[in-house]
Amino acid sequence: MTAINDTLHITREPPKWRTHSRPFWDATREKKLIIQYDKEVGKYQFFPRPTSIFTGKRRNLEWREVSGKGEVYSFTTVHRARPPFQGHEPFFIAVVRLKEDVQVMGNMVNCTLEQMKIGLPVKPYWAPLTNGTHLLMFEPDV
Amino acid sequence: MGMKDTAIVGFAETKIVEKSDKDVWELGADILESLLDSTGFEKQEIDGLILSSSMTGSGNCFWSQTTADQLALEVDFCQTVDIGGCSPTAALARAAIAIDAGLCTTVLCLFADTQAAENNQRPRSFQAEWTVPQGVLGPPTSFGFISSRYDHQFGLDLRALGKLAVAQRDGALLNDLACEKLRKPITVDDYINSRMIADPVRLLDSVMVCDGASGLLITSKKNAARKGLDKIVVPVGYGERTTYRASESIVDVTDTGHRIAGERAFKQAGMKASDIASFHPYDDFIIAIMLQMEMLGFCKQGEGAAFIREHEFNHLGDLPLNTGGGQISAGQVGLAGGGTNLVEAVRQLFGAGGKRQVKNTKNALVTGIGGIPYARNWSSSVVMILTPNA
Repeated sequence: MTAINDTLHITREPPKWRTHSRPFWDATREKKLIIQYDKEVGKYQFFPRPTSIFTGKRRNLEWREVSGKGEVYSFTTVHRARPPFQGHEPFFIAVVRLKEDVQVMGNMVNCTLEQMKIGLPVKPYWAPLTNGTHLLMFEPDV
Repeated sequence: MGMKDTAIVGFAETKIVEKSDKDVWELGADILESLLDSTGFEKQEIDGLILSSSMTGSGNCFWSQTTADQLALEVDFCQTVDIGGCSPTAALARAAIAIDAGLCTTVLCLFADTQAAENNQRPRSFQAEWTVPQGVLGPPTSFGFISSRYDHQFGLDLRALGKLAVAQRDGALLNDLACEKLRKPITVDDYINSRMIADPVRLLDSVMVCDGASGLLITSKKNAARKGLDKIVVPVGYGERTTYRASESIVDVTDTGHRIAGERAFKQAGMKASDIASFHPYDDFIIAIMLQMEMLGFCKQGEGAAFIREHEFNHLGDLPLNTGGGQISAGQVGLAGGGTNLVEAVRQLFGAGGKRQVKNTKNALVTGIGGIPYARNWSSSVVMILTPNA
């Protein structure tokens, strides 16, 4: 088995939220994943946008809690990174397709090179950030 | 649309270097002087200025205006095009539009960047919030997962991709203006064995950021004739698409905006992919070239590798491709890098290719790729078809 760095011991700056993404980050304090839902068209979107990507009518957006379960749509094994990730290669960046039909990018933890593949079922892994929020990452859902 | 009534009357480019010791405006002045010399135009005849974006200029909200001031160009039309690597080709399209609309007569399109020496970029995008915290290194990471997905859906043929890398490198060996560091022969095995950056993207898949400048002088066909310039290049078809499938939450990353931009450009030109005499696709990563072959209709989606195996891409081949080395083997001049392949296409149609002159100069196809969005392929796609005096 080929171990891939889980990146969990890298110190990351908590991201600065925007007014339209703040509810997402606030929910991560309790390890809850909420994403935007357009109640008119009945579809989800990610990442948080200032308006509905479907209709341009922001009044139809609401936040809904989802499980964060899905499967790997694609991934790359990063062999060359910038600080603070430099020196911690190789690590995974996955594009995950959630059950709600949105694509989310995140690091993959607790996953070997042999295990990683397109279609792998995954669930959220919440990595703590220094301001009490959490970063959404993924791990195999086995 | 009267795009066909405009004429490219001159092209210019500087040496591409790893890090410029000249100011970006000095490079711009080199381009201006070269264009005035080659066309016989006076500076005072230039009444339009269109710039590509520039990492060096990106700290300045007045970039086109300030550059006009530095070069002392008094103009009636002045703007910067900010759709990333598409900007140079999009600047040419906007020059044609401005001339056609009667806003100006003669436009300097200037593509200058010294990203390696002076990067003033302060991005305001999704990145700081959604990808930087995950260690995403921008374009290489995206092309890593685009390539993995392509491999999953269609299979990735490294020897076919390597053939493109070698063809471009052979072009750089014949291009005295290509970055010297890159002017060393490579083989398909060198490509496959080069250092992994973002698996399966390798070092020899990737562009190296460099500094330099290029430019075009564009005027009305009527004005070119009045000046006695019989050697001209004419844009005959153009398509542009930004944020392809922006209204969809899940997308196929092997399907790109070039599909739409290409359809429009070919329709306008009255051509199809098999009519193309030389191909100058935007090349930030080798796989982008293959994806564009598929989207533009050179072959079907997923059949790029077979197409590559069946054709030869050096300047003597049946489909000459980025004959000066492309950005990957000549160096990527920051956000002005799209100018390298555009100017190479124009150079070939002028018959000024020298040691790397292509035989068939009846037309050339140029493309652009600009911007890396979240979990997709790229933000902007442009396609331009050029012909000699049409």
